[in-house]
Parts: sequence; structure tokens; C-alpha cells
Amino acid sequence: MENSTEDYRIQSFDLDTQMLLKTALKDPGSVNLEKVSNIIVDQSLKDQMFSKEAGRICYTIVQAEVKQNNGNVFRRNLLNRLQQEFKVREDTRRRSLQEWVCYVTFICNIFDYLKVNNMPMVALVHPVYDCLIRLGQPDALMNEEEVDCLVLQLHRIGEQLEKVNVQRMDELFFLLRDGFLLQEGLTSMARLLLLEILEFRAGGWMLSSTAHKYYYSEIAD
Amino acid sequence: MSNWLRGKECVANNSEHDKRSDGPSRWSHCRKRGIDGNLRANTEANGSNGEKSRHSDNSYTHSDSRHSSFTTPESNGPVTRCNRRMDWGSQMEDEEMRRGVHKDMQRRRILAAEGNQRERKTSSGSSESCDSKEGDNMETDEAVLLRRQKQINYGKNTLAYDRYLKEVPKHMRQTGIHPKTPNKFKKYSRRSWDQQIKLWKVKLHAWDPPAEESQDKVLNNIEDLDIDDVMDIELDFPPLTDSQAPSASLATHSLSLEDEDCSGTPVKIQKTENAAESGVTANC
Repeated sequence: MENSTEDYRIQSFDLDTQMLLKTALKDPGSVNLEKVSNIIVDQSLKDQMFSKEAGRICYTIVQAEVKQNNGNVFRRNLLNRLQQEFKVREDTRRRSLQEWVCYVTFICNIFDYLKVNNMPMVALVHPVYDCLIRLGQPDALMNEEEVDCLVLQLHRIGEQLEKVNVQRMDELFFLLRDGFLLQEGLTSMARLLLLEILEFRAGGWMLSSTAHKYYYSEIAD
Repeated sequence: MSNWLRGKECVANNSEHDKRSDGPSRWSHCRKRGIDGNLRANTEANGSNGEKSRHSDNSYTHSDSRHSSFTTPESNGPVTRCNRRMDWGSQMEDEEMRRGVHKDMQRRRILAAEGNQRERKTSSGSSESCDSKEGDNMETDEAVLLRRQKQINYGKNTLAYDRYLKEVPKHMRQTGIHPKTPNKFKKYSRRSWDQQIKLWKVKLHAWDPPAEESQDKVLNNIEDLDIDDVMDIELDFPPLTDSQAPSASLATHSLSLEDEDCSGTPVKIQKTENAAESGVTANC
């Protein structure tokens, strides 16, 4: 089943880069995969829309490379680049909240898509938790973009994360409860988001229909 | 041979790579993949990666210039600096290999059990005479299996092996003539296993792609040990000094332990070459 290229959301790249990416998808052995992974990571750090969906194109390139020549150059470069950015995440956050949020979105998206034997990548579990727990800290909860990012990721990958490590999920949710209950200065939107995610997890990673009605009935379908 | 530990690389400092100098070794043309893991045929497409056509196994990388092993007063010989590779790329590869080995173990156990049952049905009385090399006598130590699997991977990640597979389908293999991958599940001493691996790889060289040399010359060179046949030997090289400025991505221009070995031909290798020469049986 082949995704049409629109699914990969590469429209934001210039035409040459789009060509490069398309080639990487079909014939990974013929392109410089290190360069491709850097392009994808760089864009993900800038473009929030792309960071939400970049996992898909990465997954396809990884699969294509395995199929073509049993290689994993792309994956290795991607992961190591992710690791590099992870190491400097606190500086990134200080420098640019937007970039930090993009990074978290991206790494969670990769975690979601790049599975090995249908199991999440072991190497990413703790780093993802580290990022989410960082988002649950008091200073981060003051920023709506960070709260929004946090709950979005939990919606997408919370259940999977919990399966691979429940203690850290508990740790995160202690923070969220405390934040919701005790933290002064939270915007009402932030509190709403936190309450919803608390209920979401309590409901087994889904909202009851009444809760759904409460939170989402105002939103046009 | 059993005194030497295999030095495993530890990537502690991910922001630098160590680039060992110079070009291809004489075995480079046999390697399926270059140092960056890309297939050799595509070196042009990979820009600066193309020059680094040194022989390496793409599952082994290390990217700092420190010794990956030391001899401490407490240890009997060189010991590894740390056992796990810390970069995420390598962690995933190690994880995959571990899973692969576990699957092999499961499969082997099931097949062994099945085999024993069949044997009992057909044999007249004594069940000891059947293939009890599996079952109770199976090697189950994960560390041993992983190490053996890595050694096997080195041998299989060669053009020679690919060519061998294409040329000789498995059912056409004749014992003694065609190289057979050593069975990692059988119990062997460390020395015995390492020797089997060495001999297996030497035999595989018969299928090396011809370089400038004619096919005959390649066959004559079979007796020369491939550098990675002695990969288990810990060599105390001083770290090479050229290193490049870090680039944006990590661990891509990184080297395997084998590259460290080929910066010279120390006395130890020469001795082993002689030993291997006397031990090598005639090849086709």
C-alpha cells in the first residue's frame, strides 16, 4: 500500500528537496541518506506541522532501505541526530520554545511510527519520558504551547508508553495532578487540558462519551 | 586466543568522530559496505562518504579516539571500557541482534525437541545415540551467543558470502568443500569456536570478487588471514591523531574495531598468520 506523496507533507520543502525525498522513498540506496535524515530533522525542528507527521516518511524510508539492501544507514543517522538534539534540549528550550516543542513532537512521532517488530524502539522510551516529564514541570505548565504539546503527545502515544514503562507514566501523572491542583497562575486553558488528560488516562486512554461531550461538544466536527 | 577479549566500542563522546587516515585496505573491495554503512556500489552517490572505503561492518561503529579497552592492575588482560554502545543507532542495532538471537534460540529449542521425538520413534532402543548435541547440550549463554552472532555477521557481511550464496544453493553444498557457517548453538570452547570462524572465513575468500588481481591470485591469497579473522586480538595501538571537526550528524563517519587493527601489522598478527597458514586446509 503506497502512500501518496501528499501524506508525507513535504510540500513545505523546495522542489529540489522534494525530489530528493521522493527518490529516497523509492530508491534509498541512490541518495545520501545522512543528508536526507538531516534535512528531515532540521525541518521538523522548524515546522510544527511537519514535525507532527514526519514519522511517516521516516518509517517509509527505513523500510525501503531494509528492503532494498538490508541497510539501516538512514535509521542510524536519524536516531543519532535525535540523540544529539536530545542532549542539548534544555538549551534549545531556553533559546526557542517553538523549537523545543517541535523537537518533542518529532521524537514522539518517531517513537510512534518507527517500530521494530511492532515494538517501540527501546532506545527512545526513556528520552521520550524525559521530554514529557520536562513538559510537566511547573515552569513548563505556565506555557500553553508546552501544555498543549504534552497532552497531544499523550493522546497519541500515552498508551504505548505506559505499556513499556508504567512507573514513569505514574511519575508524570503525579506531576500533572500536582500542577492542576496546586499551581498558581495556570491559564484556564492549561487547566482544562490537564483535567482532560487526567480523565483520559483514568479512563484507560479514552474518554467516556459523557466526558467527550463535555470537552468537545463545543467544537465543530 | 582465549586470553584476548574482544574490545567493544563505547561511544561516550558523541560530538566528535575519529577519522583514521588513508584509503582502502586490500580487503576493501570485498566488503559489501563502506564505513558509513552504505553499499560500496553507491559510493559516488554519497559524496564525502565515498572516500571512506575501508572495510567495516556497518553494525560496528565507534566514534571517539579513546582506547576502547585497557589493562588494569586487577584484570588479567585488556578489559572493555564499557559493554554497551551508547548511541541510539547502535543501541537499536544491538537490540535487534539480541532479538534475532533469542528467536534463533526459540526456534532451535523447538526443532531440537521435535528432532528428538522423531528419533525416539525410529530408533530401536537407545535414545542416547541420537543427536543429543541439541537439547541439553545447547549453548544458551546469551553473552556467548551474541558474541558468536557478531562474528558470524562479520563473515556474512561480505561480498564473498553474497557471491557464495548465489553460486551455491544450500542444498547443493558438499561437506568439506563448501564453507558452512559454524553452529553457534553447539557447545564449543572459546578457542575451538574462534578457530572455526577463522577457517570458515578463510574458505569464504574463495568467492571474493576479483579486484585488479586475477581470480587465481585471489585464491593464492587465501592463506593470508583477513584482518578481521584476528579481530578478537586486542591490540594496544596508540590512538591515531587525525580527527576531523565534528559534523552535524553523529557516528556516521565512524569506524569499526577492525579499522583500528589495520593501521599496522603488529607482531601478534604476524604470528597468528603463521599459525593460520599451517592450519589452513587446501581450498578449491
